[in-house]
Amino acid sequence: MIRPARIAPIAALAITVTAALAGCSLAGDGGTPSDAASDGSTVYFGVSSATTGDYAEYGKQFKEAFDLAVEEVNADGGIDGHPVALKYEDSQSDPKQSVTVAQKFVDDPQVILAFGDYSSSASIPASPIYTAGKLVQYGYNNSNPDFTAKGSEYQWSTAITTDANYTWTADYIKDQGVDSVGVAYLNTSDWGIPAYNAFKAEADKIGLTITDAEGVDATSDDYRPSLTKAVAGDPDAFVEIGYGPDASKIVTQLRAIGYDGTFYGGQDEESFNTNPDAEGSIIGSEFVADSTDPAVQAFVSAFTKKYPDETGVTLFEAGAYDALHVAVEAAKVGGITRAGILEGFQKLKDVPSLVYGTITFDPTTRRVASPKLTPTILTDGKWAEYQG
Amino acid sequence: MLDTLIAGLLRGNVYALGAVGISLVFGVMNVVNFAQFSFFGLGAMLAWFFIVRLGMSFWLALPLVLVVCAALGLVINLAVVRPLARFLPLAAMLSTYAVSQILDNASQLAFGAQFRVFPAVLPTTNLRIGAMRFGTSDLVMLGITAAVMIGMTLFLKYGKLGRGIRATAQDAEAALQVGIPVARVQHVSFVVASALGGLAGVFFSIYIGVVNPTSGLNIGMTAFVAATLGGLGSLVGAVIGGFLLGTLEAFGIYLFGDTARQIIVFVVLLLVLIIRPGGLLGRVPLLSTEPLTGTFLGKGRPFRIPRWGWIAGAVVIAVLVPIFGNRYVLTTGTQVLVYAIIAAGFTVTAGQAGVVALGQAGPIAIGAYASAVLTLVVHLPFWVALPLSGLVAAIVASVLASPIWGVRGHYISIATLGLGVAIVAVIQLVYPNGVYGIPVPSIGGIALNTPLAYYLIDVVVLILTLVVTGRIRRSHLGRVISAVGSDEVAALAAGVRVRDYKALAFAISAFFAGVGGSLLAHQYTYIDTSIFTMLMSLLVVTIVILGGVSLPYGAVVGSIVLIGAMELLRFTPELRIIVYGLVLILVVRFRPGGVLVRNA
Repeated sequence: MIRPARIAPIAALAITVTAALAGCSLAGDGGTPSDAASDGSTVYFGVSSATTGDYAEYGKQFKEAFDLAVEEVNADGGIDGHPVALKYEDSQSDPKQSVTVAQKFVDDPQVILAFGDYSSSASIPASPIYTAGKLVQYGYNNSNPDFTAKGSEYQWSTAITTDANYTWTADYIKDQGVDSVGVAYLNTSDWGIPAYNAFKAEADKIGLTITDAEGVDATSDDYRPSLTKAVAGDPDAFVEIGYGPDASKIVTQLRAIGYDGTFYGGQDEESFNTNPDAEGSIIGSEFVADSTDPAVQAFVSAFTKKYPDETGVTLFEAGAYDALHVAVEAAKVGGITRAGILEGFQKLKDVPSLVYGTITFDPTTRRVASPKLTPTILTDGKWAEYQG
Repeated sequence: MLDTLIAGLLRGNVYALGAVGISLVFGVMNVVNFAQFSFFGLGAMLAWFFIVRLGMSFWLALPLVLVVCAALGLVINLAVVRPLARFLPLAAMLSTYAVSQILDNASQLAFGAQFRVFPAVLPTTNLRIGAMRFGTSDLVMLGITAAVMIGMTLFLKYGKLGRGIRATAQDAEAALQVGIPVARVQHVSFVVASALGGLAGVFFSIYIGVVNPTSGLNIGMTAFVAATLGGLGSLVGAVIGGFLLGTLEAFGIYLFGDTARQIIVFVVLLLVLIIRPGGLLGRVPLLSTEPLTGTFLGKGRPFRIPRWGWIAGAVVIAVLVPIFGNRYVLTTGTQVLVYAIIAAGFTVTAGQAGVVALGQAGPIAIGAYASAVLTLVVHLPFWVALPLSGLVAAIVASVLASPIWGVRGHYISIATLGLGVAIVAVIQLVYPNGVYGIPVPSIGGIALNTPLAYYLIDVVVLILTLVVTGRIRRSHLGRVISAVGSDEVAALAAGVRVRDYKALAFAISAFFAGVGGSLLAHQYTYIDTSIFTMLMSLLVVTIVILGGVSLPYGAVVGSIVLIGAMELLRFTPELRIIVYGLVLILVVRFRPGGVLVRNA
């Protein structure tokens, strides 16, 4: 029996969704490219990051730093009189959504550069779309070297690569007089495994013995059986290659199985810093909040003034703050168009930076020469420079 | 050795506590309750909030957490689960998934997304056996597990309501007929289970040390496996399952590493289910119909779509959208279409054969990796790799799934879920690095990598998928598969080799999943295993249920609504997931059989 009337509401639902999608984005096309060139008009950067989902924590940290930087840039006259504004889109760091976000930015003529995404497994699938749209994709947090190495001329990054970071870590540990380490690394293709490979390559070269390396799953919570095995060879110290929350669980459980060697790992995150078992952990950091560098001090005080609820200022905030300034400088150098900002990236020289001191890209790798890493130690819940 | 055993018992204790709640709800309501997983994370966050932010003592915070979780559990059961569970467990399951999304995100809004250090309310490392330290907290937890078990056993054995729970678990309709207040029984079970979930969450956080709102999902999943292992509905089984799984996991990780954890968990599960299809202490389901679908296949009838409807739909998707849609719409469209292809293929398994397999991310990943290897290593063109990767997915997934078709009821859903997770974990072992530079489709050297080209390729594949699945439905083969799904016993009596046809249906679905995976791989040009998550599997199931579980074209509508809605809700980024969950609940509430299925 045909009852068209009964189908109508469902058909309407599907059509409404389709039409509304079309409508939304058609509206987005309303801004004409000429807007961007007219005097005093706003310059837009897109931000593809996680507002919801598992990575929302980092999305929030980035947003706070971006917003602070935008405020300062605009107070300072913007880009040659053009104020700067950001368009945020939530990708949940999920490739299914990061590609649509990428297309949204590419199709929005007001957007002349896009930041993001957070994780490489969301950023890299979006890269072909940014490249096709000739829009610079600034992966300010993409430490996976392949983000730029396997990307096109439109992928740029100021994140320290996992290679640089963990080569340094191996060298530093060896310099501390440590001869053998047990390792736990995050078993992820886009970050943990390349990082461990870099560490192992350097360790083999300099004669640092890895007694055992255990890949750990980020979704696991109880690492004791792995850790028991990892320290079975009685290593001098322990290295953790992973994020703050995992490091926090690992250090606690490492102590629980009776291992007392130095813990090299962890990150400047609340979940790690306030863990009493984490005291005495050592990491190489690109950013130390209590550094005497006046630029860092100015940033930290401005940040804590704007966000009094935040307990700490970390590399995540500093990296995003730097990134916004780099983008602004690139636009000043090359012009406030997509082509201009790309040219700006190629020409940039000595942009002041919290993390690097100054930033100059290598135009072939589209990365910055490695920053100086400072050994830091966690004492009383705060990271301080370590003179060990 | 002793260290590993103790580590295993400690983690087993957490699983056991969680598994008891899961088994309880399952026994009386026959619903896979995803919301239960959220209670782990919610209980933990509430405890953190009460203790750290409000400065309460642990012994005051703990009962408060239980009360809040219990109250929320009652609300959820009243508003969402019970109205659906009686006729449509499948719809109820979908709603509990929506509820869990809402709970997790509300908790994230309220408490923040970051991991928090859980206060050391009880010593965790003050005692030791050998080198392994443990603490008062572990003993307290062990004591609570024991107390809960003893209390529950006595209650179920002697309590009036407890006996009602047992009767309801055995046969809800018969219980109703002899005057047992089934509604109250179900409310009580739900409330107790929710409180137990919160309790397990609190102890889990003490044990782990850090917690965030979504940290309950994985422990919940493992607890669920433990409950299945022990036999769903059996509380003693849940406890045994918990300890057994914890111990085996610990030894497995010690031998093979944490990277093999998920493989270990699910291999244990599959082995147990193959040997004892009802779990260790569970009853082997007597009626072999799939409780999630079989009983309701006949309840709703799909709307008959008139010819103009088909034409209009085809014109909108294949002509109007490509002409008028901008690239953002087209890119969103490609995601919608790929998931529609995967889901349409999945209707053969879920709808016709009546097996709600929960692990479609497995075959999708096989297809994606197969296609990447075929084009990058063997240098086949995309057009050849596309169908081949479907074939590879169908063959590999079928071989791997072959032992599980004797498993019945809900167990098969859990078994396939495990299979999906294990497949992805194995791929991770084989390909630890991501795969880069997967070639884009091309014809005669011209790259077809614009959003429009991807969209049109996907449209063609979707149309082929719908034609093939439609033909299968109408063919003799399709009717046999449907017979298996509608009434397994009758099919068996009629001489149908039920197992083989279920396997065949699964292979057909895996083929389309593989094709979908291939399409995704060549669009992203990069894949790694973190893309093929359990959430991906759940999305496929959700799409199918929303569209009408046995309607291939329903999958298209489901996909438009579920993936399109996520994009439409961009105007409210913070509340996006919550609104999405509410929409899902409302749709399921008013169209429980699927949007294209007339209510029974």
